[in-house]
Amino acid sequence: MATTDRHLATGPEPAALGSRVRGFLGAIPTWVLWFFVIIWTVPTLGLFINSFRTRDAQRNFGWWMFWQDGAHGYGGLTLQNYRDVLGSEATGGLANGLLNSAAIAIVATIIPIAIAAFAAYAFAWIDFKGRDWLFIATVALLAVPSQVALIPLLQMYAGGAHLTIPLIAKTVTVFPDLDLAGTIPAVWLTHTGFALPFAIFLLHNYMSGLPGDIFESARIDGADHFTIFWRLVVPLSIPVLAAFTIFQFLWTWNDYLIALTMIGGNREALPATVVVASLAGEFGLREHLLTAGAFVITVVPMAVFFSLQRFFVRGITAGSVKG
Amino acid sequence: MKRFRIVLLVLVAFALVAAACSSSSEETTTTAAEGAEATTTTAAPATTTTAGGGETTTTEAMASLEGTTVTVFGPESSDEEAGAMQDALDVFAAANGMTIVYTGARDFSDQINAQAAGGNPPDIAIFPQPGKLADFAREGYILPLPDDVTATVTANWPEAFVSFGNVDGVQYGVPNKADIKSLVWYDTNAFEENGYGIPQTLDELWALSDQMVANGQTPWCVGIESGPATGWPFTDWVEDMTLRLQGADYYDQWVAGEIKFSDPAMVDIWQTIIDLWNKPGYVYAAGGSIASTPFGDNGQPLVDGDCMMHRQASFYSAFLPEGTPTGPGGIDVFYFPAGPDGTKPVLGGGTLAAAFDDRPEVWAVMNYYASPEYSNERQIAQQARKGGQLSGYLSANKNMDLNVFLPLEQTMIDIMLNAEVLRFDGSDLMPAAVGAGTFWTEGTSAVNGDETVEEAVANIDASWPSS
Repeated sequence: MATTDRHLATGPEPAALGSRVRGFLGAIPTWVLWFFVIIWTVPTLGLFINSFRTRDAQRNFGWWMFWQDGAHGYGGLTLQNYRDVLGSEATGGLANGLLNSAAIAIVATIIPIAIAAFAAYAFAWIDFKGRDWLFIATVALLAVPSQVALIPLLQMYAGGAHLTIPLIAKTVTVFPDLDLAGTIPAVWLTHTGFALPFAIFLLHNYMSGLPGDIFESARIDGADHFTIFWRLVVPLSIPVLAAFTIFQFLWTWNDYLIALTMIGGNREALPATVVVASLAGEFGLREHLLTAGAFVITVVPMAVFFSLQRFFVRGITAGSVKG
Repeated sequence: MKRFRIVLLVLVAFALVAAACSSSSEETTTTAAEGAEATTTTAAPATTTTAGGGETTTTEAMASLEGTTVTVFGPESSDEEAGAMQDALDVFAAANGMTIVYTGARDFSDQINAQAAGGNPPDIAIFPQPGKLADFAREGYILPLPDDVTATVTANWPEAFVSFGNVDGVQYGVPNKADIKSLVWYDTNAFEENGYGIPQTLDELWALSDQMVANGQTPWCVGIESGPATGWPFTDWVEDMTLRLQGADYYDQWVAGEIKFSDPAMVDIWQTIIDLWNKPGYVYAAGGSIASTPFGDNGQPLVDGDCMMHRQASFYSAFLPEGTPTGPGGIDVFYFPAGPDGTKPVLGGGTLAAAFDDRPEVWAVMNYYASPEYSNERQIAQQARKGGQLSGYLSANKNMDLNVFLPLEQTMIDIMLNAEVLRFDGSDLMPAAVGAGTFWTEGTSAVNGDETVEEAVANIDASWPSS
């Protein structure tokens, strides 16, 4: 018994070593992942800690020395930055800014989704002349950077777009003078325009992968395109619609440039990103408030992301594998 | 179909929410639109204003301000600055039954280009750089002041400040705020303990620096890091030294591009400053090197005695650690001393208001900006917001109430008002490619030792826009 025991005890040892090595090697991707997660998170952690420190503490010592602030005579951790940020009144105030951000982000998410869903269905399942060329043109618009179009767009919102046809000298109003410059609808329109190519592309890839047999049987049962779209395509496309919703919401919520350009000096309509940026002041005098401001405006997108997170990965791979 | 109806309902609901959300923004824009329409019709009242002149037209104008709205856009955006600006405007607005809305943006300089080019400018913009104001005047975006507003400006502001808003002989700008840059911050107690006097000439200043080093102290705090604008404190040094060593005429020609950066006298000035900064033991830089030390971080070392002197503008007061005593017995300033010829030039800065729209209420607000009442109200509001500390606001209005300013602020105002020669920060007057570009970056490279002074000035000259 003793010998067999020893044999049993020593026998598996090489195998155990081998599996341990294999286990170690197998865990390397996880280690690498952890490494990058930490690298990526440390600055955010620093920002988070700094958001509770006084201006002089932030100016004189790094965030990793935060526990010595009291000893250095700068006062301990404080909520004062958050109080200053939430109570700010310059540039319309942060509460107003958050409301504007919501007004911008919600509508600028709904409009492109509504239009893109119809368009993607048409591109995927309705046969019409020139469909492929139109689709290629739409997707090619992905390459247009929004920055080059901002000033012309603003001019259009401020005074409309008028084309004078040569020879007959007739002026056609392409876009009426709606006096949109400085208003939130101007931001909606801009976000919608630049979101549509990607939205149509993403939704089209997903919808064209849906099994055509269902639609055929639906048509045999007398369903028209409209019914098929609402009763079959939309319910089946929920994952990709949710994924795009997250994308678009985060993008419009975090947007600074488009809102700043389109709204400009109308402080009643400026979103939270612009309000927070202006907290720092002309010479960066109150830069220390940016830490707390950044966290306040991150709360909403975080909530959106985590509540819709289960759709996120499913939606991104949407249409990549046709089944 | 039921699902469709639900979706339709949701969409309609969102449209309603959207309309409700945007209503607040539409309010101001409709007034702006009315204003734009009114431009064509106000030609007549505007001529009566200038034709009538004097006080009678002012009262006429006041009567017509009821219910009007004026939008102002400027670079000051923090709660204290923008808030105090709004407070001061509110005083005038309340007295006249009108609304004035101030919006501050940290990216003002880029933003105002987009708004002017996009056809959506504010009624009044507050320019931190006369060079920019001149560009806008030549582009035809901003309007020349009517005679009565010009009269208020010249009656209340020193000639030098008035001239900053003058483009090709036409007055466009109303001074709004004044900064003085020829200042050295120091700790009065440290000077007293060591028996140091206030240097009266540049030579005395260098001698004092040497003496401090001999006593084992570090004379200067220098930091030129300022985000994308890194290098500007260096340009201020160069400008201040140029005014002292070469005089105001040379300075004007240099700013206008008639004298090159590679001029031997200019190279000498650069070399003098860089040699001083690189002398072992002469400079304390909290961030390790001069170029990596934020200019705002030098308040604490000055209070702690890590360095004895810090040459920086009047607005630096806001960067001192909270609760630092100022004035005699605390941190104080002295005038960056005069050069060999004994004249006392002052390097200044500030902001200028200019109007985009020709409406009586816009000119009324511009007129208010030029008045001593604005300077007083602004200072009172900003000091209150700072809890009675140094406000960070300064004005050179000749007729304002000096009693609303603290002693240290009065010292600065005194230096500004009594300046024999006052020049605006040269980098703000040069073309933006140089003044807000290569002068900063090449200056930083020279300070870092990445380039020799000769290489740096050659690069700046090459970047000066032709035409």
